[in-house]
Amino acid sequence: MQHGHDSTRRRFLKGAAIVSAATVSKGMSLVQSQSNISAARQGPNDSVPHRPLGHTGIQVSAMALGGYHLGSTRDQQEANEIVARAMAAGINFFDNAWDYHDGHSEEVVGNALKGKRADAVIMTKVCTHGRGKDVAMKQLEQSLRRLQTDYLDLWQIHEVIYENDPDLIFAAGGAAEALLQAKQQGKVRAIGFTGHKDPRIHLKMLSHNFPFDTVQMPLNCLDATFRSFEVQVLPEANKRDLAVLGMKSLGGSGEIVINGAATAQEALRYAMSLPVASTISGVDSMQVLEQNLTVAAGLKPMSAQEMQALRDHCKTYAADGRFELFKVTKKYDGKVGREQHHSPTPEELPA
Amino acid sequence: MTQNSTGPAIPLRQFGKSSARISALGFGGHHLGDAADEPTAVRLIQEAVDGGITFYDNCWEYHRGKSEIWMGNGLKGRRDKVFLMTKVCTHGRDADLAMQMLEQSLRRLQTDHLDLWQIHGVAFDNDPELFIRHNGAAEALHTAKQQGKVRFVGFTGHKDPNIHLKMLNTGFPFDAVQMPLNAFDSQFLSFEKQVLPELNTRGIAVLGMKPINGHGEPVTKGILTAQEALRYAMSLPVTTTITGIDKPEVLQQNLAVAQGFQPMSPQEMQALRDRVRDQAADGRFEMYKLSLKFDNPEARMAHQFPLDMQSVEVKEMLQATKNTGHPFPKTS
Repeated sequence: MQHGHDSTRRRFLKGAAIVSAATVSKGMSLVQSQSNISAARQGPNDSVPHRPLGHTGIQVSAMALGGYHLGSTRDQQEANEIVARAMAAGINFFDNAWDYHDGHSEEVVGNALKGKRADAVIMTKVCTHGRGKDVAMKQLEQSLRRLQTDYLDLWQIHEVIYENDPDLIFAAGGAAEALLQAKQQGKVRAIGFTGHKDPRIHLKMLSHNFPFDTVQMPLNCLDATFRSFEVQVLPEANKRDLAVLGMKSLGGSGEIVINGAATAQEALRYAMSLPVASTISGVDSMQVLEQNLTVAAGLKPMSAQEMQALRDHCKTYAADGRFELFKVTKKYDGKVGREQHHSPTPEELPA
Repeated sequence: MTQNSTGPAIPLRQFGKSSARISALGFGGHHLGDAADEPTAVRLIQEAVDGGITFYDNCWEYHRGKSEIWMGNGLKGRRDKVFLMTKVCTHGRDADLAMQMLEQSLRRLQTDHLDLWQIHGVAFDNDPELFIRHNGAAEALHTAKQQGKVRFVGFTGHKDPNIHLKMLNTGFPFDAVQMPLNAFDSQFLSFEKQVLPELNTRGIAVLGMKPINGHGEPVTKGILTAQEALRYAMSLPVTTTITGIDKPEVLQQNLAVAQGFQPMSPQEMQALRDRVRDQAADGRFEMYKLSLKFDNPEARMAHQFPLDMQSVEVKEMLQATKNTGHPFPKTS
């Protein structure tokens, strides 16, 4: 996820008016009551369901907390409260990346999970962007230190979005070798990759038949009919028994909601109703978390008919990629990857 | 490919299946609007005509009309010597709007007909469907041709070979197709590989653009020379190669390659492809395929994409509303 979308997200919350005052106050009271019973889970009907992370034996919550946005919180205290509330609601899966806020996101999550490591499934991503194994292993050590842990549950290659990334990753001495080595050394339990650009690039990655455990991709009700990961990659990943992690359920910065293609609840429910292990959603305030929990807690998946109806409804918005800017512009392409691929900086070329 | 072998003339090549012939080097209209001032632009056009360039490119939305107006003034008294193209910027909108834009373009270019009228900036996945739909721009191309306002029709785009192929598959009888062609393109989301052979098979005139990647980036970075880049593009099986010209030096540099043009051998072309391979592989020198930056404001507005407030066209659009009486207000 790219930097600088915080204001957009806030605007979307205000404008969309999807978090009613009643929902918020109900949420707040839940936080208060649950902070006293930290170990207790909500009942099976009102907590976030858990699902197997592919064949890894790890169980993850059907919704994960996106690490980029946790680094955008006001302060550590706010992040701590969000993480505590999320865990009380059944969320155990935490996303991150080595380059989010230049390491700040990993530090924030490391602090927030102090004393809770055993109950959490921690993922972070390595940002070699074509560089070799040694860079990857160095980043792994930094990530572990920032996250205050001696192992990751999941380590993924970040932002596989450039046409030649698969070639560079699988070249001799490339990042793929680091994934295997880290797993052998017990520093990571599972490995995968992620990217937001093009289903073809994902398929190129899969064609190497590398023993990935997971694959992360944009999945939302617009993606279904435009350069679609849902159509092209999801079935292939399911067939290979890889755990699928969905992201950008609202378009990356709420574009789908702001522009009225779907409500946040519809869009989230759609993404979470797909055959995925988890849907990663960025949360930078308690308000957003409570909004997400209205869908994720006691998740009621959409029927096949409901999903088709939403796809049909969104079709006209989807057809040119206007609300999936991560596929058709440079807007969501991160700084580190751009540097390695000699692309202009986000300041020089925002989109 | 026909070639004039005597003297330093720019070779003329056959325009698709027609009997028209155009110069192997074309004059790009966008850069003309970047010329220092109107007299400079007029002189550039006049010297280009004298130098043997017969193909002139333009577009309704370049510099909010400035490019067409300057070119119209430059071609005064020379209209009959050239093959004039401009483009229409409906970007999915109706045929009526296209016809309105055509009238504006004709007036600015001071002519009663265009030799070629093209759909501009086919860059979005659904553009082909919007083009061919009932009351879409396809109907305007057809009408304009019937009315004798345009001789030939085509389309252009810099984004994705697949979108070009989709346009061809609408079944509309295009006379010309324009696309980026350069040594970098030859190995990255490649128009040269995916679209060019198809056009050659169909006998459609091919107009290459961005021979030096749009703004000469690889030349600035010292990866190849302007001459190598231009020669590569002109050596492909194309009808013409459109290059942006905003200064006398650039005109002279391009004329020097085009006059008495000697194509590269297949070996030379392959050597150049090999040389740029590493830098081509991730598109770093072809941002027009990856970024929104090169999509003009009309395209973005029609498709509801965010505008770029730093773009020249957007600045000109905003400044124009200040009603200072200056037709092309300074944007800085």
